[in-house]
Amino acid sequence: MSGAGDREAVFPTRQSLGLMKNKLKGAETGHSLLKRKSEALTKRFREITRRIDEAKRKMGRVMQIAAFSLAEVTYAVGGDIGYQIQESAKAARFRVRTKQENVSGVFLPQFESYTTEGNNDFGLTGLGKGGQQVQRCRETYARAVETLVELASLQTAFVILDEVIKVVNRRVNAIEHVIIPRTENTIKYINSELDELDREEFYRLKKVKNNKQRDNAAAEQEELGKRRGSDKENEDDTGTPDVLGEREDNDVIF
Amino acid sequence: MEGLFFNVNGGFIEGIVRGYRNSLLTGQNYGNLTQCETIDDVKLQLAPAYGDFLASLPPNPSTSSLANKTTDKLVAEFRYLQAQATGSGAKFMEYLKYGYMIDNVALLITGTLHERDTRELLERCHPLGWFETMPVLCVATNIEELYNSVLIETPLAPYFKGSLSHQDLDELNIEIIRNTLYKNYLEDFYRFVNEHPDFSNTPTSEIMSEVLEFEADRRAINITMNSFGTELSKEDRQKLYPSFGRLYPEGTLMLSRAEDIEGVGLAVSGVNDYKTFFDSSGMGQGVSGAGNMSGGSGSDGKSLEDMFYQKEMEISKNAFTRQFTHAVIYAWVKLREQEIRNITWIAECIAQNQKERIGNYISVF
Repeated sequence: MSGAGDREAVFPTRQSLGLMKNKLKGAETGHSLLKRKSEALTKRFREITRRIDEAKRKMGRVMQIAAFSLAEVTYAVGGDIGYQIQESAKAARFRVRTKQENVSGVFLPQFESYTTEGNNDFGLTGLGKGGQQVQRCRETYARAVETLVELASLQTAFVILDEVIKVVNRRVNAIEHVIIPRTENTIKYINSELDELDREEFYRLKKVKNNKQRDNAAAEQEELGKRRGSDKENEDDTGTPDVLGEREDNDVIF
Repeated sequence: MEGLFFNVNGGFIEGIVRGYRNSLLTGQNYGNLTQCETIDDVKLQLAPAYGDFLASLPPNPSTSSLANKTTDKLVAEFRYLQAQATGSGAKFMEYLKYGYMIDNVALLITGTLHERDTRELLERCHPLGWFETMPVLCVATNIEELYNSVLIETPLAPYFKGSLSHQDLDELNIEIIRNTLYKNYLEDFYRFVNEHPDFSNTPTSEIMSEVLEFEADRRAINITMNSFGTELSKEDRQKLYPSFGRLYPEGTLMLSRAEDIEGVGLAVSGVNDYKTFFDSSGMGQGVSGAGNMSGGSGSDGKSLEDMFYQKEMEISKNAFTRQFTHAVIYAWVKLREQEIRNITWIAECIAQNQKERIGNYISVF
């Protein structure tokens, strides 16, 4: 097993075992939650990728048409009207507003385009000739910008989701491959340490018991020996005169 | 009678213009152009007519630079002609330039109104509309100064006088100013070709009257149709119609009252040519064709504007059937302008790979 020696620096106590067990349970719950989140995001991500593909193709078509309608304007007006249009445009007709969408806890900005009505700044451009082409060109470009806005909101969502999915996946992997094994290792370590302690304790107890027994045996032996000795002594003792005894001394005969 | 002394002053110019006319692209040339696959091929096809002007272009030039170079050639030839012209011929060519001057002045007025550095704008001006006092326009910083001291000095001063005050420059839309000027210009030009002793009762006045009347009618119709749905009121609109032309006065009066495309159709129905245009462009049925996804004008058939161009080219072409007239210069300039537009269009179509509408150019030779 990888990182067999990788464990947290804890004292192998019963309390930290409990802590570790809790931690393992928490990690497993978190892992499954994050995994599900990541799956939801990935699903969304795939959908967005597909829509980006569609939007890009659409943009290609629309922009081509728009560029061509500009060519038509050039043909009809017979000159450059760019400057005039730039100067006569005063207020934006095409506007974008943003709102947020919540996808499993991730806020994705969404752009929404709308046109303000009655704002026609260069309505008179090309009054003499080419006016219709100018207006038509404006319409096609408005459509092109619409597509671009749609694409922009998809792209932003794409980037943000990409980032978030990466983070979530990193967390999932971290939990799966680092935290859970490490916690398990720690638990194993603590268990083994505790077992070791148990065994040591048992051995110690045994040893103590042995010692005690031995001591007891020795003590008994001694006791026995002593008793025997004291018996002998007793025998000797009988010989020892009790000087101070009240017994009547035998008269010393010199 | 008019042929007797024309060649003393105008013969050389007329000869040159007829020479220039022969170098215009023909239907055959356009056929070749539409077969091209790249802009480089277009450049190669144009080599006989535009060789020395296109030579300096880099490989695969943009369509706008192609258009610029072809315009350069027109300008160079026009300047040469103008240098050769004398007397009333020179005056006539001045008149040709006024139309471009109006565009340039309008551009500079726009710049001044928005307080931009107008010096940058000088480069965007049409070279044919260049006049000596034009850079002076850039000196003026506000519109009153521009009007009082600078515009008076330009050749266009008579067109401003009487119809536009300096408050108008500030308040009116630049397009209205431009069209007012253009209206005055057309009327003045019309008067000039009909009343100048050198031109009255000559082929010049005949041809130019036809051309200018057509131009006046076209502008009136276009202004009417383009003003639908804008803030331009009917009274203001009426002021922009030139006071001559085949539609004048009944047609223009009806135009000024028209409220939709059908009204325009009714107004022009007095003139057979325009009626035919309206009917064949499908405008008569009130189908304005705009807003469909095709992104272009009705891809089937020609738009009204195309037909006007076609008509203009035919008038210009017919001008060459007459002799002893300066009108051929006008016709030649118009033909060349159309040719430049055609080349740009074909180049655009090739560059954008939209070959299906490449045939929309107008060729009369």
